[in-house]
Amino acid sequence: MSAIATTLQSMLDSTAVHPWADLPSALQASIAQAIMPDASPDCVVYPSTVEHLAEVMTRAHGEGWRVLPCGYGSKLSWGGLAQDVQVVLSTQRLNRVLDHAVGDMTVTAEAGMPLAVLQQTLARQGQWLPLNPFYGDRTSLGGMVATGDAGSLRQRYGTVRDLLIGLSLVRADGQVAKAGGRVVKNVAGYDLMKLLTGSWGTLGLLTQLTFRTYPLPETSRTVVVTGSAEAIALLGQALLASSLTPTDAEWVVAPGLDWSATPAQISLVCRFQSIAVSVETQADQLSQMAAALSLPCQIYRDDAEATLWRAIAQQWDNEAPALTCKFGVLPVRAAQVLDKMQAMVSIDVAAINAGSGVGHLQVPITDDAAQCITHLRQLCNAQGGFLTLLRAPAALKQQVDVWGYTGNAIALMHGIKHQFDPQNLLSPGRFLHGV
Amino acid sequence: MVAATAGIDWRAIAQDFAQIVGDRHVVQRREELLVYECDGLTSYRQRPALVVLPRTTEEVAQIIKVCDRHHIPFVARGSGTGLSGGALPLQDSVLIVTARMNQILDLDLENQRVVVQPGVINNWVTQAVSGGGFFYAPDPSSQIICSIGGNVAENSGGVHCLKYGVTTNHVLGLKIVLPTGNIIDTGSKIPDMPGYDLTGLFVGSEGTLGIATEITLRIVKAPEAIHVLLADFTTVEASGQTVSDVISAGVLPAGMEIMDNFSINAVENVVTTACYPRDAAAILLIELDGLETEVAANSQRVEAICRQNGARSIRTAIDLQERLTLWKGRKAAFAAVGQISPDYYVQDGVIPRTQLPYVLREIEALSQQHGYRVANVFHAGDGNLHPLILYDNAVPGELEKVEDLGGDILKLCVAVGGSISGEHGIGADKRCYMPAMFSETDMDTMQLVRQVFDPQRIANPDKLFPTPRTCGEAARARAQQHFSDVERY
Ligand SMILES: Cc1cc2nc3c(=O)[nH]c(=O)nc-3n(C[C@H](O)[C@H](O)[C@H](O)COP(=O)(O)OP(=O)(O)OC[C@H]3O[C@@H](n4cnc5c(N)ncnc54)[C@H](O)[C@@H]3O)c2cc1C
Repeated sequence: MSAIATTLQSMLDSTAVHPWADLPSALQASIAQAIMPDASPDCVVYPSTVEHLAEVMTRAHGEGWRVLPCGYGSKLSWGGLAQDVQVVLSTQRLNRVLDHAVGDMTVTAEAGMPLAVLQQTLARQGQWLPLNPFYGDRTSLGGMVATGDAGSLRQRYGTVRDLLIGLSLVRADGQVAKAGGRVVKNVAGYDLMKLLTGSWGTLGLLTQLTFRTYPLPETSRTVVVTGSAEAIALLGQALLASSLTPTDAEWVVAPGLDWSATPAQISLVCRFQSIAVSVETQADQLSQMAAALSLPCQIYRDDAEATLWRAIAQQWDNEAPALTCKFGVLPVRAAQVLDKMQAMVSIDVAAINAGSGVGHLQVPITDDAAQCITHLRQLCNAQGGFLTLLRAPAALKQQVDVWGYTGNAIALMHGIKHQFDPQNLLSPGRFLHGV
Repeated sequence: MVAATAGIDWRAIAQDFAQIVGDRHVVQRREELLVYECDGLTSYRQRPALVVLPRTTEEVAQIIKVCDRHHIPFVARGSGTGLSGGALPLQDSVLIVTARMNQILDLDLENQRVVVQPGVINNWVTQAVSGGGFFYAPDPSSQIICSIGGNVAENSGGVHCLKYGVTTNHVLGLKIVLPTGNIIDTGSKIPDMPGYDLTGLFVGSEGTLGIATEITLRIVKAPEAIHVLLADFTTVEASGQTVSDVISAGVLPAGMEIMDNFSINAVENVVTTACYPRDAAAILLIELDGLETEVAANSQRVEAICRQNGARSIRTAIDLQERLTLWKGRKAAFAAVGQISPDYYVQDGVIPRTQLPYVLREIEALSQQHGYRVANVFHAGDGNLHPLILYDNAVPGELEKVEDLGGDILKLCVAVGGSISGEHGIGADKRCYMPAMFSETDMDTMQLVRQVFDPQRIANPDKLFPTPRTCGEAARARAQQHFSDVERY
């Protein structure tokens, strides 16, 4: 066993430290996706208290060990490759709900809490955290925050940054700090919640998170309309210009699903969640708008609706090697961009949120993947947007720029990283331009 | 620490500024500087050395470069309506006023985005987009005078933020002149750009991380229907419980406001709405908006919840005129209190909603203990309290006592798990209370950010965080020690 693992075992109980060689191969493979090839970490550590986690980090800081924070590892395959990682620090055992203030509609939980379990806890009180990130069945709260992965409900509820109201973290030097609070309105101090959301484990280890919760909606309906890019774009514009209030509205291409199987067509998938009378009226109004454009329209409810959403999620979630990208374009161009993407690559699944223009795309890996990425990125950049590589083979990630940042604030971002983590111990190299 | 400013040749600096913005836009005469010596928190005053009014990002950058070169602190100022002394100048500082940066640069209705200069007044945005059926959601009561730049710096809220969120939820991008004079762009019309969320970090940073010179805002579709309900209660507890019950029932009103008996009477004395019963312990205003059918149904549910909680009477307003009538008293609350007392001090604290009845009883006890009357007006939906403490500034020593009471109220908010500010900011006024909420390490961690943006500490220094010099021993911090070098009124 390595010296690092031995040291850590002497600090924590032995079940908390798993030397690399003892890990199940599936876990090894999953971690390998987050780091540069040909080097493996010494061990994975599972502290079960914040104090332990802080002790490990303090030691790492003293010894100069480089650390890859993770939760359940569901998104280790996303983003850049970390370099020379010695310790993988998992928050999996920090998995308690600390306080569900039911009447105040806030919840504080540890970062290793699985989102799905939190949702069950909240649901017992008729509440939820209106976020539906990728791999939601096995994502931890910390992982969701660190990747800023919110999901399509952003149409109504915003994203992680809008719902996260407080946090605690262990800094690179092992100190525990907090920001924000447990109330929904609070302007005291800098908003470190925003800074940490989407920081990919480069600034600190998230330990506790407080979110604003919402009442579970009474009923739900999903409307799916499929047609040519042009017609669907018109429908989307009509929807956004109307007073309808969908919780989820996306342009979708998913050849794996019956309703989306016709080539060169795009679907608008629109979900309404509210009281019965409202969702019915809204679904009706949208189908009338579709009818006015001679577009066929299908309304899903109850079990059929649940099945529909599961099917969509499954399109993204498969073991087969694939290239997954996140991108953004001006909302008004979204349908057109999807159409162009369809012409450029063979799409497994793609979706763009109607209000924000933020989308995701999954395509099979081809020999000319690097070139494809360049072209797709050019397409997004030309619409004022961006394209970031989430999942891709390591070789490809080494070959192309993963993040696609085009702005002028890199020096400042480096400065922030340097202040928070001067020795570059946390997820080194995983974030953009070596941050 | 304030950068050393001894021996500054202000005449030379003024000349530098004049070259950048033109003579007319550099203010240096004593009497003209007077209007800039305080913001909305008028109890602190400090004349700046110079005031400069740039018009473009480039001019701001050049001005800041001069400050950077000479280690001169600068303070940004929008409309000066801030209530925490954020725009209060420091001795030997330059005040950079954004009033001339008042252009709406891009109205992009298709994408529901608007790009503005920082001096644009909040409600100009809604005016500019309402023709297209949109509005800009964050609506501080000061919306007809406060600037978007100030809103960004304070992360201002408004009556409708319960449903729509506060400023930070509506700012997508910024152009920022850093305290070094360098210019960066953060975010864009499209959210989730790769990289750290510098936009989110900057919003609410109270002018300590630089000056925002362009702001990209999200606008929202105007609702189809609006109902306003006014209910009155014989106990404040009942009104608080109603608020909780409405939200638990799954209804998310645009706003919910409570006024206590004292505020009701102040308002009725001054503006005589004849809507708010003088003998009510509290009135609750609830605004519901959205689709016609949804609002109608929710309106009935809310009415039922009010009745279950013992509301004596309920009035529902649907057309605009009637709605304005119901809102009139709430909107006039601060002014009304201003008329029944020579002076009042506005406190801004947040509590978990369910603590409302307890906290109000405690505030009443504190009010009696300190011997000052307190009128309570608050954004009840999100637990944001605005106790107004009545006093007479002409009596020497009163302000200090009132600030003590205000401080006790803040500590009460923190004790029940709340915050020392919901929307007015920390500024100069509350930084000595920061240790009540945050540990040394918490604040050091925040300061790491400041260090990156402002290594010389020239951007609104001495604000937001306590310093040994300004607060002495944090635990014994007293508001009145904040600006010992500042004249007091
Ligand atoms: C009657 C009244 C009612 C109010 N109601 C509300 C309310 O309902 N909700 C609420 O949240 N607030 C309210 N306020 C407080 C105040 O109006 C807000 O804080 C507002 O956002 C301040 O805007 P301003 O333009 O006046 O900013 P200023 O007071 O000029 O400045 C405020 C802060 O912003 C900084 N700043 C200004 N411009 C910039 C810039 N371009 N870049 C960086 N920093 C900058 C300043 O340095 C200062 O720290 C009220 C105030 C009054 C007087």
